[in-house]
Amino acid sequence: MIGLASILQLGLLAPAYRPFIDPLPLTGWLWWLTLIPLAFGVSMVYKAIRVSSSFNTYWREVLLMTLQILGAMIGLAIGVHILIEWLVPVLE
Amino acid sequence: MSSRSANETFQPVAGILAFLLPGAGHAYLGEVRRGVHICIGVFFLFFGGIFIAGIDAIDREEDFWWFVGQAPVGPVAFGIDRIHQNMKAHDPPPDATADWFEMNRPARMRSLGHVGEIGALFATIAGMLNAICIIDATWHAPRRRRGERGGDA
Repeated sequence: MIGLASILQLGLLAPAYRPFIDPLPLTGWLWWLTLIPLAFGVSMVYKAIRVSSSFNTYWREVLLMTLQILGAMIGLAIGVHILIEWLVPVLE
Repeated sequence: MSSRSANETFQPVAGILAFLLPGAGHAYLGEVRRGVHICIGVFFLFFGGIFIAGIDAIDREEDFWWFVGQAPVGPVAFGIDRIHQNMKAHDPPPDATADWFEMNRPARMRSLGHVGEIGALFATIAGMLNAICIIDATWHAPRRRRGERGGDA
């Protein structure tokens, strides 16, 4: 329901939105999706410095690093969720 | 303890160019392809931040410490901050009523909460990554193609 409400709200706010001037009308959980372009951009610049001059493996390494960052973040989220929701109540 | 690479050279002109335009330092050193990828990546993050949080992501006066991180993107960051400061001059007056908003549209909307933070984070990471690129161009050790002894093509 929260997801549906977010998308409906996005649709209602969209007409007033001015790109690059106003903030994106991201509500609810939608802002989490910005992690994907963030990881991709960081990987692009980091690998641009690190790869050999031929750049043969550039996009493969960018994709791999993006997936590694996303995997690590999802893993951390799951770990923290287990800690807070499961382990801490047991310890209390 | 790390040691410097034997073929590392000090390139102040490349460092200045890398600050003026992301990737220009590497392009000046002959690594054009690397420079283009750096430029695309840094601007993707920087303008991605502005796309998410609006122009409010860049604010030297109200978000000074965020701007310290964003400044290494170069003159583009300072230029956008200048545009933003000019827009703030047209903010609604403190006693603005509903009638004022019916007659006027604010020059820009403030970004709050997660959206504002994420946008500022995008632009700041762009600046921090370009700072690494500036350092890499200034104290430069050319990378070679695999199995090649010469410089960059």
